[in-house]
Formats: sequence, C-alpha cells, structure tokens
Amino acid sequence: MDEREDDSEYDSDTELQRAYADGRLKAGLNIEARPPRSFINNVAGMKQKLEEFQRTDLSWFERLDVTAAPISSASEEVVDVEDEFKRELLFYRQAQAAVLIALPKLSQLGLSTKRPEDYFAEMAKSDSHMVKVRAKLQERQQALERSLKAKKLRELKKYGKKVQQEVLQKRQKEKREMLDAVKKYRKGKIEKLDFLNDINEKKTKSAQPKANKRRDWKNQKFGFGGQKKRSKRNTKESTSSSTSSMKKKDNVTGDQFIV
Amino acid sequence: MDRKDKLFVLNEMCEMKNCNKCIYFEGKKKQDLYMWISNVPRGPSAKFLVENVHTMLELKMTGNSLKGSRPILSFDKAFDRAAHHTLLKELFIQIFGTPAYHPKSQPFFDRVMSFSIADGRIYIRNYQIVEDNATLAEMGPRYVLNPIRIFEGSFGGPTLYQNPQYVSPNEHRRAIARKIGQKYKGKLDQKMARELRPDLPSYPSDPLDDVFTTAQSEEAS
Repeated sequence: MDEREDDSEYDSDTELQRAYADGRLKAGLNIEARPPRSFINNVAGMKQKLEEFQRTDLSWFERLDVTAAPISSASEEVVDVEDEFKRELLFYRQAQAAVLIALPKLSQLGLSTKRPEDYFAEMAKSDSHMVKVRAKLQERQQALERSLKAKKLRELKKYGKKVQQEVLQKRQKEKREMLDAVKKYRKGKIEKLDFLNDINEKKTKSAQPKANKRRDWKNQKFGFGGQKKRSKRNTKESTSSSTSSMKKKDNVTGDQFIV
Repeated sequence: MDRKDKLFVLNEMCEMKNCNKCIYFEGKKKQDLYMWISNVPRGPSAKFLVENVHTMLELKMTGNSLKGSRPILSFDKAFDRAAHHTLLKELFIQIFGTPAYHPKSQPFFDRVMSFSIADGRIYIRNYQIVEDNATLAEMGPRYVLNPIRIFEGSFGGPTLYQNPQYVSPNEHRRAIARKIGQKYKGKLDQKMARELRPDLPSYPSDPLDDVFTTAQSEEAS
C-alpha cells in the first residue's frame, strides 16, 4: 500500500518536473487547480414540473396572488440590500402596489375588504400583546419628545447667556444714573432725595424676611448657627462661674479638708 | 419523527393526515434553521436556509390581523424571470395561500404577505392592511429564505436547481474563523521570514576603514 502511494507520489513528481522543463510550470508556489463546480439548473425540467403541478383550474379568488412592481418607482432601481431602511421601504411599496391591485378586484367580486366594527373574532396577536406594543410605541414617542425638549433647552441656554449680559448692563446703567444723581444732589442741583426712595423701595421688597414661626421657634430651642464644637470645654469662664456643678463638688471636698 | 429518519417519512405522515402540502422546519446545531416546502405526493419540493428571523412577538411589529384571514400574496416582478423562481412562486401560492371558504378562515382581507427577491434570496414580509388606501403596518413574522436546492420529488428525487451562490452556514463560520486565525498565522510567518532573511549590511561601508585598528587598540578602547 505504502509503496504504491510512494509510486504515485514519484509519478506526480516526475510529471511536475517534466511540466517545468516544458515551461508549463513556473517557479514558486503552485497550487493544484480544481475543476470548477458545476451547478444543476434544469430549466426544461422545472418548466415541465411547473406545468404538471400548476393549478390552472383555480380562479384568481382562490389563489389571491398579485405580481407587481413597487409603486412610485419608474424604473427598476437596484437597491442596496445592506441598507435596511431603503430595502424595507421597497418591500413596503411592493406590498402597497399589490394591495392597490387586489382590493379593487375583491370589491368587484362583491367582497368586503374591511372588517366591520362589531365583528369580533380571534386576532393573530393577543390583546395583552397589543397593549405591550402600544406601550412601547408610546414610550418611544415620549423619548423622542424628551430629546426634543432637551435640545430646545440647550438652545434656550445659549440664548439665556445673551439675556444675562443684557441684565448686567442694565444694572450698571442704573448704578451709573444713581451715582450721577448723588453727584447732582451734592452740588445742589437737586433738592429732593426722591431717587433714593426708589431704590430703598426696591431693596425692601427683595429683602423681605420670610416669616416662618415654626422654624424660628425651633432655632430658639435647639440653637442655630455658630460653633457647637467647643461649647462644653473647661475654660476660665466655666470654672469661675458659680452655676457649674464641678465647682460645687470642689467646694464640698474643700469643706471636708477644713474639718 | 425521529432525528435519524429519512425525510421521505414525511410523505407518509402527510398521507396519513390527508395533507397535500407540507412545510418542514429543520433546526441544526441549535443555530441554523432550514425550511422545506413540498407539494406532497408528487413534488416538487425546495429546501431553504432561513435567515434573519423576526417573530411576531417583537414589539416593533405594530400590525395585527384576524386569525386565519386569507392573505393577499404579493410577488416581486423578478419572480417571472428565472424558471426556478416561477416554480417557487407557484409553490408559495399553493402553500401560503388560504383556500377560499376554508372553515377556519375569515371572510375579510386584512393582510398581505409579500415575497421579494433581492441578493438572490427571497425576503418575506407580512403586513396588515390598515386602510383601503394601502396604508400598511408590518405585523411579522419577517424572514429571508436562501434557496439551496429544488427537487423534482417530494422531499427527494432528482435535483432540478442548485443555488450557485449558496454558502452553507458552516462554511461561512469557518471562513470567519479562518480570517481571525490568519492574523496569528501572519505574525508567525513574519517572524520566520525575519529569521530566514540573510543579514545583509544596511548601509555600504568601506572595508578599508578598519585597516589600522589592531588587536591592542581594540583592547584599549
């Protein structure tokens, strides 16, 4: 067995050498070529088979088939299959074309294509599933609205900066006017101090204290503000104060010593 | 039906159940789905690879129709060009069409089943007819059929057509794996090539440059 394999190998080698000598082979890596695969395409057989099993006795109503090109496409355009949106649109338009052909045909036959409102029957998708579908649709719509809102806000912010600058400028202008008025008063050009009243009124309005009695009372009771950290420290004041309990104890011990 | 049974058994099963059309789904390796459609007693039959399946359970398919309503079958114009497509069209009409006045069917028409040819494959879409002015809503399922073979008989017999563009999913996966493996192999080959390359001088040098360097001066330096 082995010998025979060797023989065949030897044969192929000599064959190759001969081919090389003849110039049919070139130096380098040579790969054995395979004969091209042949694919069966028996057109005559298929036509015969089609005739054999085709139901020509059935009317169109039994078959309900429509062959149509996609609507609103003048020429047969070649759509890139990888582009999902365009591809799906093409299929959608094809189905639309089919519907536009089939529905008039059906209505000619006196058949209703639309289900009446009061016709209840089992649907392909359950009601609970359709609820989910609707919820999903709504969610998507809301997300879209939210993103639009955010976009608007971003733009408003940009606009808001401009507004802020205007406000600052306005304040500066007011200040300048006020200073001018003060100067004029000093020089005696204006007798009255009305311009001050205007500003005072503004300030009092903005600085009105908010009355929150409950909060005030709590602040009074528990304390508000200031450092609480070292309030219990042993300081000069605390030792000298007579109310301190420590002092009293000291006194007691002192008395004992005396006795 | 047993896994090891020949597909021919299906013909007998159909006969027992009084069926003359059959769709048979075959799952392989838990990842590839094949679909057979057959005209039972005398053929023809076709085998497809089912790709890109989107079921009706997906929430982005918003349409809904009556259960058992008869679909309008919409075909691409390309179905009338090649002989194998014409044959498949007739098979699809007979298999996916619901017979008129079928007891389980509904008397209204509210869905379209669309067959289109693109990229040598058959794209199938299901739409609900929302309005009579052809407003549609996709209701699913959607999938792509990649034809493999058409046989003269039912689940067997001589081959009528063989798709030359068909690449089996196994081969496809192998090609991807090979592509990834190529990267490592390339690196190894490069290393080997570098070792085999003769150490040639990188720039021309004068051999007389080191005439006066003696062993002593080398030691000193």
